[in-house]
Amino acid sequence: MKRALLIATLILVAANASEIENYLKELAIEAKKEDPNFKAFSAERGKKIFFTYGIGKRGKKIACTSCHTEDLTKPGKNIFTGKEIEPLSPKVNKKRLKNLKDVKKWLKRNFKDVYNKEGSPKEKGDVLTYILNQ
Amino acid sequence: MKPQILMSVFAIFCTALYADSFFERLFEKKDGSIKVAQHIKDRLYIKECGSCHFAYQPEFLPSRSWKKIVSNLEDHFGTDASLESEDLESIEEFLITNAGDKTELKAKKFALSSDRGDIPVRITDLPYFKKEHKEIDKNAVKNEKIKSFANCSACHTDAAPGLYEEKAIVIPGYGRWED
Repeated sequence: MKRALLIATLILVAANASEIENYLKELAIEAKKEDPNFKAFSAERGKKIFFTYGIGKRGKKIACTSCHTEDLTKPGKNIFTGKEIEPLSPKVNKKRLKNLKDVKKWLKRNFKDVYNKEGSPKEKGDVLTYILNQ
Repeated sequence: MKPQILMSVFAIFCTALYADSFFERLFEKKDGSIKVAQHIKDRLYIKECGSCHFAYQPEFLPSRSWKKIVSNLEDHFGTDASLESEDLESIEEFLITNAGDKTELKAKKFALSSDRGDIPVRITDLPYFKKEHKEIDKNAVKNEKIKSFANCSACHTDAAPGLYEEKAIVIPGYGRWED
């Protein structure tokens, strides 16, 4: 019974990990379609997107770091509502970047929050790669 | 599954349900508090709505308000809070079945204080909310730890369990509130 549970857990963990990896592969195909010179996602470019200020929601000048802070291993705070945000770094917060539905939801919403538009596949992949490496 | 196993599972389930409400009642009696709104247990609602702001109890607004709010989550007070349709349906049902016009909990006073023709989308706009908070200085809530009147749990330390007792009010930058 114990062994069955262990195997089931391992399969589940593996399935979840590949879910995000597969999504990155999908994004890479899309990015290549938009730009034939695209090679691979870059955590460095992702960091730049994460730290750059845009005119976001309610016309306020914000960056991803405004709420998530510049250190993703630390908790953040929603600057509009004051609600605490758990750390984004998967190293300190095991729940992060495990559920693809959640990842897609937040990438879509938060790009709109900060830049008033959805991110391109390349931008999404870069930011995701940056966060994964924190 | 054998009928005996099925029965035992059912019995345990019933006991758990009863024990839950029993302890809740016991707890309430002991400190003399009366629930204003429910202690939300709906995990989807807490996850989807409570990630960005206090998970407001549905009792504070009438069902017509919740219908309006969930119908436009793409522009939710300036934020894209859109949901997948199955999650949206589940959350809408939770909000509507527990709304202020469907409950006997005290928070219905808020929901019922708006004109019938109005569809309020902010609890803070409700006449009963304004009446209850009229002694609070508008500048006091601009404190970084509060942000606005919409942040219930910043001062009501017992907002999440739905108690909202006066003795549990602690205003950041001001201290305990005594009438």
